[in-house]
Amino acid sequence: MGYFTDLVIVGLSLGMVYGLVALGISFIYSGLDIVHFAHGEIYMIGAFLGVTALRLTGLDYPLLLLISMVLTALIGAAIERLFYRRLTRQGGGISFAGMGIIIAGFGISMVLQNVAFLVWTARAVPFPVNFGLPIEIGELMLPRAYLWIVAVTLALMAALHGFLKYTRLGLAVRAVAFNKDIAYLLGINVPLMMSVLFGIGCAMAAAAGVLIGPINYVEVSMGIGILIKAFAAAVVGGFGNLPGAVLGGLLVGVVESLGAGYLSGNYKDIYAFALLIAVLMVRPSGLLGVTVKVKA
Amino acid sequence: MLELEAIEAGYGNVQILNGISLAVGRGRIVALLGGNGTGKSTLLKTISGLLKPWHGSVTFEGERIDGLRPDRIVRRGLVQVTQGKEAYPAMSVEENLRLGAFLVGQRAARRRAFERVYEHFPRLAERRRQLAATLSGGELQMLCIGRGLMSEPKMMLLDEPSAALAPQIVLDIFRTIGRICRDGMTLLLVEQNVRMALLLAEYAYVVRDGVVHIEGPASALIDDDAVRLSYLAGASAA
Repeated sequence: MGYFTDLVIVGLSLGMVYGLVALGISFIYSGLDIVHFAHGEIYMIGAFLGVTALRLTGLDYPLLLLISMVLTALIGAAIERLFYRRLTRQGGGISFAGMGIIIAGFGISMVLQNVAFLVWTARAVPFPVNFGLPIEIGELMLPRAYLWIVAVTLALMAALHGFLKYTRLGLAVRAVAFNKDIAYLLGINVPLMMSVLFGIGCAMAAAAGVLIGPINYVEVSMGIGILIKAFAAAVVGGFGNLPGAVLGGLLVGVVESLGAGYLSGNYKDIYAFALLIAVLMVRPSGLLGVTVKVKA
Repeated sequence: MLELEAIEAGYGNVQILNGISLAVGRGRIVALLGGNGTGKSTLLKTISGLLKPWHGSVTFEGERIDGLRPDRIVRRGLVQVTQGKEAYPAMSVEENLRLGAFLVGQRAARRRAFERVYEHFPRLAERRRQLAATLSGGELQMLCIGRGLMSEPKMMLLDEPSAALAPQIVLDIFRTIGRICRDGMTLLLVEQNVRMALLLAEYAYVVRDGVVHIEGPASALIDDDAVRLSYLAGASAA
């Protein structure tokens, strides 16, 4: 029983990280019609920025998290403004121009990897924070890094929900996500809101990167694995659906952890896709996806 | 207040507007009439900034506004009211209205705007917590007009407020529009419902094939057979 609980706890914490990245991907897709294939690199850069900020400033972990999120959001917004904005003007999503966006995403992903390689070299570095001793609950030993993941992810999800639901800016972001022309006619600064939207999506990935840092190493190639898992999570939950992305992330994390624990750790990456295929066979638009969104 | 000078515009290579000129004086109600596909919506988009004109100029309160971003034009006090179907369905009535007041910075001013809109449309006050998706066609139209009013504009462009509504509701909505205009609003009213539009407006332009086909005081046009004839290709002339 203890082994099972351990696996579930590890799965849930990793799943929250997948969920955060998937949340960013879904958020960007639902608002801007960009299927963002460079999101894994945004996550990687977020993690490195966290490490560098720690080396330079020695600040506390929550502040590092915040610094990394803000910087990554700015970098993301700049990327969107410079590259994606030209393409989304021609239409995105499931259209011919949408194909261009996907290819641009791969290109940006390659450029970011190489920029990161030049700045931070190919060495895997640890995220040198010490959270202290694991917490003991009965016979369970729970490393504090996992608690941080759960607490921060829940806080970020609540913050995003509150922002979108109760603030003037959040309402405007939702309006822009739904229809840009109408938002324009209401006097909303649409280009700015598009930057805000993309920046928030990237900040979520950066948070995920800083959260995973203390458990795994931080390295240039870390974005590829997470991108695949996060896409699986986003699609399992219903692409473009925000609660669905988190739910999908948790499912992918738990299935992966249980599979690795009981079946075999060698095929760890297969379980996420087995889940993806199983869900899509039963519900083609994902667990919480109502209909497949088609935009011209 | 608003002057259009030889506007030409279109989409891609297709030219829709072939040189339209018109003027709306301060405090006036002017109607823009024409059947389907005559370029009325294109003209509205050109004025509100969603579409850049190929040639010609749009002047609002003495300053050129063509080529400005739509939100900058709203900031100057010129608001296009969308058709009822363009409300945000997944948001509540109140959220839709709050979006209309996006540019209004002060809390007190926003509250005043809410009060004014609820005064004009008590139905919206009753349904303020409901999602827009649950409203009737008439209520949606009220919502969009109210949403336009929230930024306290000097002039409104109304895009077919009678579209797809029952005659009694159309009458109600036109009465309210008349009341809003008596408070000093300038209005450019785009309509297919010629009779209703001419009863409300003082002056009217009839658009056909992207040019002004006929223009004149509403009282003269209302009995003009030429207006009716220019509609034979179009919609409800009655």
